[in-house]
Amino acid sequence: MSKVDVTVEVCGMAGDGTIAAGGLLNEAMSEGGFSVLGFDSYPAEIRGFGRCVTRSRIGTNEILALDEWTHVLISLDDAQSRSRIPGLAENSSVFFDNNPPVYVRERDSLAARVEPGTALYGMPLADLAARAAGTERGRNMTALGGFAAVFGVPEELFHKVITRKFQPKGAKILEANLHSFQAGYEYALEHFSDRIRPIFRPPAKPEGREKVMLSGNLAIGRAAIDAGLKLYFGYPITPATPIMEYLAAKLPETGGRLVQMEDEIASIGAVLGSFYAGKRAMTATSGPGFALMTELITHGVMAEIPAVILNAQRGGPATGLPTKTEQSDLHAAVFGGPGDSCRIVIAPTNVAECYHYTLKSFQLAEKYQTPVIVLTDFYLDNRVENLSVPRAGSEETADWNIYPDESSKGDYKRYALTESGISPRSIPGADGFSFSATGLEHVEKGTPSYSPENHMQMSEKRHRKIRNALADLPAPMESSPEGDLEVGVIGWGSTVGSVLEAVHSARERGHRVGALKITSLFPFHEGVIRDFMAKCREILIPELNFEGQLANLIGYLHTKDVVRFNRATGVPIAPSTILREIEALIQAGGR
Amino acid sequence: MKTAGWVLAEKVQRIAESKTFEVRSDELPTWCPGCGYFGIHHGLNMCIRRLGVPLHMVVTVSGIGCAGRYPFFSETYGLHTLHGRALPVATGVKLAHPDLTVYAVGGDGDGLAIGGGHFAHVARRNVDINFLLFDNSIYGLTKGQPSPSSPVGTKTKASPMGTVDKPLNATLLALTYGASFVARLFAGDPNTITESLMEGTRHRGFSFFHIYTTCVTFDKQFKTWDNLKKWVHPLPDDHDPTDRRQAFDQVLEDDFSVGVLFKTENPES
Repeated sequence: MSKVDVTVEVCGMAGDGTIAAGGLLNEAMSEGGFSVLGFDSYPAEIRGFGRCVTRSRIGTNEILALDEWTHVLISLDDAQSRSRIPGLAENSSVFFDNNPPVYVRERDSLAARVEPGTALYGMPLADLAARAAGTERGRNMTALGGFAAVFGVPEELFHKVITRKFQPKGAKILEANLHSFQAGYEYALEHFSDRIRPIFRPPAKPEGREKVMLSGNLAIGRAAIDAGLKLYFGYPITPATPIMEYLAAKLPETGGRLVQMEDEIASIGAVLGSFYAGKRAMTATSGPGFALMTELITHGVMAEIPAVILNAQRGGPATGLPTKTEQSDLHAAVFGGPGDSCRIVIAPTNVAECYHYTLKSFQLAEKYQTPVIVLTDFYLDNRVENLSVPRAGSEETADWNIYPDESSKGDYKRYALTESGISPRSIPGADGFSFSATGLEHVEKGTPSYSPENHMQMSEKRHRKIRNALADLPAPMESSPEGDLEVGVIGWGSTVGSVLEAVHSARERGHRVGALKITSLFPFHEGVIRDFMAKCREILIPELNFEGQLANLIGYLHTKDVVRFNRATGVPIAPSTILREIEALIQAGGR
Repeated sequence: MKTAGWVLAEKVQRIAESKTFEVRSDELPTWCPGCGYFGIHHGLNMCIRRLGVPLHMVVTVSGIGCAGRYPFFSETYGLHTLHGRALPVATGVKLAHPDLTVYAVGGDGDGLAIGGGHFAHVARRNVDINFLLFDNSIYGLTKGQPSPSSPVGTKTKASPMGTVDKPLNATLLALTYGASFVARLFAGDPNTITESLMEGTRHRGFSFFHIYTTCVTFDKQFKTWDNLKKWVHPLPDDHDPTDRRQAFDQVLEDDFSVGVLFKTENPES
């Protein structure tokens, strides 16, 4: 099968079934064995301008990010879809309703506005759906039928996913959707017979394990369940809310409980209380909520109480851009709060890592008795990827708690100074091991003390402990050819997919370029990062923020200034954008 | 001549200096001599002893302030949190480990100002914890500023001309929030504190104890031992603690009657 890399958009008004159509498209192509990455965009307001867009990149090679250009646009509402025209690639294809339920003036129609050379597939979507199913509501399915016929997607793939989605809603609804799809499929076969481009045929064979379409948020929710989460405390906030909603349904099945608290302060407070009493708990929030949590996070640092906090970043500061993506809470996650409050910060870069790092965060929190912050962002939380069904290995669910042994009973020192910095932690209910945890500086027993020597010593202990956690943290992953490099690109979080694709393309063009992905943001692997930097003439750090927060954090490790590529746009950085930056750097160096 | 308040202060201080009960830790309380908190400390210690709860099954959660130091002076498990945050943290402790007996302690700053928002929600969720609010109407640990329960006209270094804001009534708030057990107590009467705490601890659901106390160092004006001794009196004998409306009437009419004002096993009704 030849290489395919196609980006498809579905665009419509709220109520057109845009998101449903995009979701089914993803599912069907995933069933067909293609690699799929999808990301929807919607307004912050409930009604807003009503524009819904789903964007899916479908390919034969592994897809790591969304790219810049769209090759196929499926329009369910021309007035909304016109905004997508600037993003269309040359020679793209556009499906639209040529007899829409809402009248569109000819000069406002998509057909009148697209660039010459665009392949237009006008279909009477509403009429076809109405004739096939008795209602126009299935016109989104009709459009999918047209898409499938023109691009040679086997119809069975769509039948399968439509059935999976609509069967629970009853035979009538399922039939209506299947018939609507089929009407579009047959119409396109008949009317566009000379313009069929079966690029998706024959289907790639799915290899190995069964694949699922999963969003970052859902992967985090699943991981929390698989980690044996007992309590979830949270407060609704975009884009973290889907985690809470998922767990609200799932936790009771596993004997857990979810409490919607009065604010984020209460949420983190209850998480600390729960871990103190020996049970796994978590909270998920976004920047504004995270800011409220910082004081209690430092309490967890000082009193050495585990906690798992997920910060799904969005555009900031303040309320910022609630439904846009940004990586601008790195400083807050690493440094936020009063005092020298070192904690663990990790950032997954794809959906699979969302799952595995969430599992790991519980182990890290318990072993190192500290809040662990998992940093994701809107683009990672809401993107869907098709991946092998993630499962927790036994090593991922092992108990890393370190409890005191019987010999210390009666003379238990909760904050004993140890070589590793980890002091065995007792849980209320253990006779002879009681102590008081406190946010005040304290001696080994836990009683407050402000002596100069003690504060120095205890600060050292807490930092030593976090430094030692590096051994259990995922090391940076390098993707480079042997030898010195013209440009080294360092990425973190949701941007990494674009970095890896850009670097790969640059190498295909004959450049000596490498990538380093950093997932442990605090503590971080200084040595590995320094070694990578040392062999690169230029270091490029693309980030979705204005200040270059990763560059600020690790830039000092390079012998000269790192090149920052900071995008405060609220939208993901495309691989092709990073590729242009790489080539510009190479050209500048060659002069 | 010694005033009645002075006699009471001395009595409380003698209790503080005695080490005859095992709930108390070896750590000497950092409260000022004559502080009302000694009376509350004694009351809670006696409650735990008389209930026979093993100390390792008790967690005392506190916020910040003079009352916040409480856990260090007790042999139970302790969790000294941040200013205002005892209630949500205590909620986490109780939900995670329901077999534990959980006491949340804090002052009027903790419970009514910075942590005031949590009070309503822990009450409406009816989490099975016991909240002791040490109300001396002053910020003691920060060396004497007005609190949300300071009477109008309270003069401190931060309010040299006297406060102008109306005080909050913690008991009235608890009743309004739907707390399922509400008691008002007096630090100078540790025995009643013990009795009420025992009843409230046995109560399944959120129990609130509004405890009038004094700051011997920073309040020479209103809630002094002398005045409290004069003002505080028991609830009328015919008070029916199962009648919420009667509890409201009592609190609205009389600021200083003490005892169990309200309790219900069925807070939904």
